[in-house]
Amino acid sequence: MAATEERLRKLVDDNLEIEGRTPGSPLDLDRSLSDAGVSSPDIVAFWKVVNEAFGVDISAEQFAEMLTPRDLVAHLDAA
Amino acid sequence: MHVDLAADADHEAEAVAWLNEAERGRWEGYPYSGPQRQFLLCRAALRAALCEQLGCGNAELAFETSEHGKPWARVGGVEAPISFNVSHGGQHGLIAIAPGGRLGVDVEELADRRNLDLLMDGVLGENEHREIASKGGDDQLRSFFRLWTMKEALLKAHGKGLLVDATTFEIPPTVRRGAPRGQLELPQLPGVTLQVEDIGGEEFAAALAREVVSEAGSERAKSR
Repeated sequence: MAATEERLRKLVDDNLEIEGRTPGSPLDLDRSLSDAGVSSPDIVAFWKVVNEAFGVDISAEQFAEMLTPRDLVAHLDAA
Repeated sequence: MHVDLAADADHEAEAVAWLNEAERGRWEGYPYSGPQRQFLLCRAALRAALCEQLGCGNAELAFETSEHGKPWARVGGVEAPISFNVSHGGQHGLIAIAPGGRLGVDVEELADRRNLDLLMDGVLGENEHREIASKGGDDQLRSFFRLWTMKEALLKAHGKGLLVDATTFEIPPTVRRGAPRGQLELPQLPGVTLQVEDIGGEEFAAALAREVVSEAGSERAKSR
């Protein structure tokens, strides 16, 4: 889980632009991307990035239903 | 209604006074300054606009959310007879209000994006993708976000937002070629006609989607 979480944090740093967030800062695993203020285009792009980086095929609907990064980490670890 | 989301300490202090206790908690809980300010200024502007439209006091107004997170309003504990939707992107917020029916609005700042190819793959249908891919530079960016905002406004009017795969439907060809508005049915919402309209400006792309309610179907359309 820690390795997946770290990979995910790196993907967030590289792909999500959030005004006020310092790249490298810890990822709040229990706050959804939309609640953290990530824009909808960034969420969609991040869905594509995660699929490519982890070699998975999460659908748009599945990704949107995963409420928090913790849910996403659990899904990726189980894949 | 456009909401200026630029950082402004005085404006933000005034806006905090409009929030109820739960909203202040949510505002204080935002981890990043940009989204925190966007929520604050849009929610305060929404409260002011709804109070004016509904003729109620701010303390009487409360918000609930649907199963899929779309907010709706109560006044004095009773569902308010009004539809509304809010969007923010960068320095721009938009609020749409209508007497009833499904309603969605979206705004996106026109800024260069390093992941435009991914976004195109993620939301465009086959024809839309081919048309946008044939463009270049600023024209491609503007054309893409014109379609993006229309699609997201439609999905917000539908009520499920990004829970619906946006590649499963396309904006009507006449609108893709430049017409300011058009009508369509989403495959996920058969029998419901939605009108989508380009309301973008120089600095931002924006779209409004609303349900077309026929004379025969004059009973109040579902708003969420």
